[in-house]
Amino acid sequence: MSTSMATAINAYVDAVKSAGAGTGGAAAEKMPGGNFADVMKSIGESALEAGAKADQMSIAAVEGKANVAEVVTAVANAELALQTVVAVRDQVVTAYQEILRMPI
Amino acid sequence: MSEFQKAMQVATSGMIAQNVRVRVISQNIANAESLGTSPGGKPYQRQTVSFKNAMDRASGVEVVEVGRIGVDRTAFGQNFDPGHPAADENGYVLLPNVKPLIEMVDLRQAQRSYEANLRVVDVARTMVSRTIDLLR
Repeated sequence: MSTSMATAINAYVDAVKSAGAGTGGAAAEKMPGGNFADVMKSIGESALEAGAKADQMSIAAVEGKANVAEVVTAVANAELALQTVVAVRDQVVTAYQEILRMPI
Repeated sequence: MSEFQKAMQVATSGMIAQNVRVRVISQNIANAESLGTSPGGKPYQRQTVSFKNAMDRASGVEVVEVGRIGVDRTAFGQNFDPGHPAADENGYVLLPNVKPLIEMVDLRQAQRSYEANLRVVDVARTMVSRTIDLLR
């Protein structure tokens, strides 16, 4: 039992690390960075930034200041950033739920 | 900025450059029969567009920019039309040096070039998207 728990915790820590931010779970005090909420916050912010850029370009296009190609690229970038965040979040939440469901 | 984003940025610059080219070609085609207004006056002179590479300092990539929009210096055509207001003392009217066939070929080239850049954006986007899908 203890083996599978250690594996799950390691998997969770790896998932959090791959999100490019802090850590959480059992190993939190050993590593720099924040907790689960901080991780979600930092990966969410990068997507918000890209989204804001896309909004700016769209508004500039409506005003006739930006090129259609620029708008499309900005929106595509925002979309990809959001996709990444959503996929990572899903993965991390799944790992978290796995730990919660674990028999003690 | 990831490499994919850079690729998309470069492709976007190419699309914008081709936009300018299409605009210049459309000016040439629209003015293919624009003559002078005074006796011996000059008709519309064909415009040309040239591109140049430029370093984007923020991301360190070579993007394309419109170098300059110049004029075609080939000789104007002549047409004998003494009644025209732009006719000179011999009765000849100068015609624009625009050849519609050349403009159409240029237009097609601009279209193909634009499509190629569009394809780069599409491929880069699909590659990132498919990679993210691995996580699902």
